[in-house]
Amino acid sequence: MAEVRLPDWLKESRGEPCLIGKGGSHGFLDKTLANISAFMRETLSSGAAERPGALQGLSPKARIAGFLLLIIACSITGRAFMLIGALVIMAVAMLMSNVSAASLAKRVAPSLFFTSVIAFPVFFDFITPGASVFGVSVSGYSISVTKEGAAIALFLVLRVGVMVALASLLLLTTRQADFFKGLKELKVPHLFVTALYMTFRYVFVLLKTAEDAVLARKSRTIATGRLSEAQRWTASRIALILKKSMSYAEEVNMAMISRGFDGRLRTLKAPGMEGRDYLWLFLTLFFLFLSFGF
Amino acid sequence: MVQEVFRLSGIGYSYGEGYALKGISFSAMQGESLGILGANGSGKSTLLKIMNGLVFPTSGEMRFLGEVLNEVSLKGPFQRCFRERIGFVFPEPDVQLFSPTVFDEVAFGPLQLELPEDEVRRRVGALLDMLGISALKERPPYTLSSGEKKKVAIAAVLSTNPDVLLLDEPTNGLDPRTQVWLFELLQGLKDLKKTIVMATHDLSLVGDLSDRVIVIGEDHGIAADGKADKVLRDKDLLLKANIIHEHTHRHGDIIHMHSHGPFSTHDEHE
Repeated sequence: MAEVRLPDWLKESRGEPCLIGKGGSHGFLDKTLANISAFMRETLSSGAAERPGALQGLSPKARIAGFLLLIIACSITGRAFMLIGALVIMAVAMLMSNVSAASLAKRVAPSLFFTSVIAFPVFFDFITPGASVFGVSVSGYSISVTKEGAAIALFLVLRVGVMVALASLLLLTTRQADFFKGLKELKVPHLFVTALYMTFRYVFVLLKTAEDAVLARKSRTIATGRLSEAQRWTASRIALILKKSMSYAEEVNMAMISRGFDGRLRTLKAPGMEGRDYLWLFLTLFFLFLSFGF
Repeated sequence: MVQEVFRLSGIGYSYGEGYALKGISFSAMQGESLGILGANGSGKSTLLKIMNGLVFPTSGEMRFLGEVLNEVSLKGPFQRCFRERIGFVFPEPDVQLFSPTVFDEVAFGPLQLELPEDEVRRRVGALLDMLGISALKERPPYTLSSGEKKKVAIAAVLSTNPDVLLLDEPTNGLDPRTQVWLFELLQGLKDLKKTIVMATHDLSLVGDLSDRVIVIGEDHGIAADGKADKVLRDKDLLLKANIIHEHTHRHGDIIHMHSHGPFSTHDEHE
């Protein structure tokens, strides 16, 4: 085998120490990716699912169906007290299921923030005319918050908050495996369940690929590059991840076929429903019934 | 009588203008342990996928237990018989572990083959116990270490009790302890007369486990097919196929030039 000849410049070593100057800021890309990754892990993790509790004791099918009924009820009701009622049911369920208010609040906060931003203009008379609650006038231009606007905006924020909190409580108290099993038992088309599951399963693998790509670039970056260059690099990494995700899809499909998958997914049957499952379904169904009346 | 499991006749696989395999012909017998060696990109993985009916050759014919294996035959009742009898361990466990929990992962194969649920639970429990991973059964596979993932991937394949095991780079990314564990497991399966076909770079694993070795050359054809100890001692062949390499190093004042391979010694001084 031919001897490897190292070029002379590779043999030179740097003797001088590194000077510590003024630090820079974290890169936008790695910060964004790290935040997305942390948010996904936080949102999709079922933190309280392993603990004993009232909701955890329900069959996945009954749990998902009950939460779905509550969410439907919240989406069709026009009364705030029905939403507050759902909030009370949720708070009781949360306490009985060993779920901390903080973990739920962390999941609900982002959607509450964005809904509030969207709903903010609705407070004002230029969007919702009505009885002025208070207003300001500058150089002949006046703007005021109306009673009707405030009511609509607060109702919207409350509705979204309650619905997101319900969905979050379901995810917090349900293991991923049970969630998909429950969907299947509820006769959701298996193609949809499989696609949803695969998305859940491989989103982390692809996020890790993206994070690694950013770290590899960071380890070789010694100066801040031009924005256009960063954009080009980002586009090329997005293309790479797309290519990787397609290759993964193909390989996973092969792995499934190799173990006997023929287009029809067969899973273990979940245990049947018990008394408490029927009670939970009755309560949530009754709540849905009330929401039609109010 | 020992049965012929695979017969490959003139198998070729091409994509666009390039090709992954060219004129591959060999047969494998029941209970045989076969090592497939080749450099990166020589077509080993494609060959295993063809043997598992996951991709189909662009030329030549492949038979499994005497039956022609192609897209048409795998659509009918032959499919179940074939999938039941062959297990394929992929090189990257993340590809293979797609179920929500370890338990579901190991149960996947038997469930697709419509085994009764009690039998599935019994098999999964026994396998998890045997591999010492019962404590992981409720964990999502993506949270496991590389060694644990490999154990689950192997359990997932063994749960259908296949007669033939195809393993693609089985020791890839494994720590030494898990490699020894894997060797002992494969040795046990070999003793049970399972047919084992292994594509790998790990010459010591092939040397210890395989009865026969097929070398795929860099021209994507068969460079050698023979008894393991004979093939693994053919230094020129292994160097030509880019499976071993030679290097020079120094012990005090003595400079050695020797090959890296399972049977290399330090008596090749220069």
